[in-house]
Amino acid sequence: MKYVYYPGCSASTTSKEAEESLQAAMKALGVEWTELEDWNCCGAAIGIGTSYLLSIALPARNLALAERAESELVTGCSRCFLNLIRAIHYTHENPKVHEEVNELLAETGVQYSGTARLRHILDVIVYDVGLDVVAERVTQPLNGLRVAPYYGCCQGMWTYAQFDSTENPHCFDQLLATLGAEVVDYELKTACCGGTISLYKRSVGANLIGDLLAGASHADCIITACPQCLFNLNSFQREAGKIKGTKFNIPVLFLTQMMGIAFGLPKKALGLQRNPVPVDSLYEKIAAGAAVSSGAAGASRPK
Amino acid sequence: MGAQTNTIDKAWTLQTPEHVLAARDLVGNDFSLCYQCGLCTGSCRTAYAMKYTPRQIMNLLQLGREDEAIAGGSGLLCTACFACTFRCPRGVAITDLMGAIQRLTLHQKHADPHIQDFYRAFMRTVERHGRFHEAEFVVRYYAPNPLRLREDIRLALMLLTKGKVTLKAPKVKSRKGIAAMFRKAVEIEGRP
Repeated sequence: MKYVYYPGCSASTTSKEAEESLQAAMKALGVEWTELEDWNCCGAAIGIGTSYLLSIALPARNLALAERAESELVTGCSRCFLNLIRAIHYTHENPKVHEEVNELLAETGVQYSGTARLRHILDVIVYDVGLDVVAERVTQPLNGLRVAPYYGCCQGMWTYAQFDSTENPHCFDQLLATLGAEVVDYELKTACCGGTISLYKRSVGANLIGDLLAGASHADCIITACPQCLFNLNSFQREAGKIKGTKFNIPVLFLTQMMGIAFGLPKKALGLQRNPVPVDSLYEKIAAGAAVSSGAAGASRPK
Repeated sequence: MGAQTNTIDKAWTLQTPEHVLAARDLVGNDFSLCYQCGLCTGSCRTAYAMKYTPRQIMNLLQLGREDEAIAGGSGLLCTACFACTFRCPRGVAITDLMGAIQRLTLHQKHADPHIQDFYRAFMRTVERHGRFHEAEFVVRYYAPNPLRLREDIRLALMLLTKGKVTLKAPKVKSRKGIAAMFRKAVEIEGRP
């Protein structure tokens, strides 16, 4: 399988730790890819507020580049995935939109034919690499660690429809269980974190984030599958706590950071020093868990 | 409405209520099919803060009161997570309709200046560089109202100390072509 990797703006700016750990974990799993050459911003949640056509054409350009590279397009960002899959769907459903999108793309010398294949990083890890291969790579099982997978609003539209249940996705739970962690359930695990609203409407954004943090507060940490969610849940715990009348101090990690810890990769390679909420407590809990279950044989099986 | 100095403002100017009413180019059904079940509002995380919820906006559009829907400012709170669209039993393109309302609201003078400046600054950096450019965004967003920094100073310090700020501009070879895409979009959307 040939992959080209699309980092997206979030992972290359405010969530560098997502990008660093993703590269490290994929290398550990033996996944080879190259970065999509000359990729552009997908418009995030802002494109749709600027121009309907641009909000489809910006992601479509990346699809066109992936077609040219004759590879599957992989992204670790759920927002990018949503925009890319929307572009695939809309150009497929509406020939006029497809034509106009190509009229725009002609300005950059590419055309989108409609054959691009798009994959989410969770999809690649769970179904291409496989949980058995992930389990083999675990050197430091996360026994005793209670983790809350945060799927985020990838549930919206077609993201999980591609490879999992839309209303009750489970692949993330399986992956974390494979690492040896105790996966905790909570109601809002597929609800939107607000995206960029935390930046321009802090009161609303912090409230949404507060609901999520409160909902997952029985976990030792929250694991996200999107750099934007990672940024939100990490950066506004103080503001969220003020609104909810409590103090939050929950480590929030990107999924490949958690994998990297279980793989025994160095902290620096996983960008753990960049996480706003310190993650040292997790190492202590893993060490304590290992002492209790010293006979534990690798990963527990998924449900 | 004033001199249009950049493509983003031009794009907003082109938006007319007719765009919303004609549901031009929408993938999915238009608002006339909405039977007011409210699943959209139930799925919406920001509905609690909206003057008119997504269901109410669909109703306002059905009643021909799009001006009221725009003036309410609810469109600006849509995070485009698509949960409403995905779940709608009538297949209404709710998020895209909310997006249209959002663009119409952003064109108005009374729109929340924070959101207007945020959208403009973000998309301008994408237009100029092909990707989001943090440092330039900061200048463009805070320049119109430096007092905004007061609210964001803690965030800014965190980003700086954690090495999350990139000063260098992204290098996209096709950035000129991407800027041309912005102009082309305005041209196409301006066609009668």
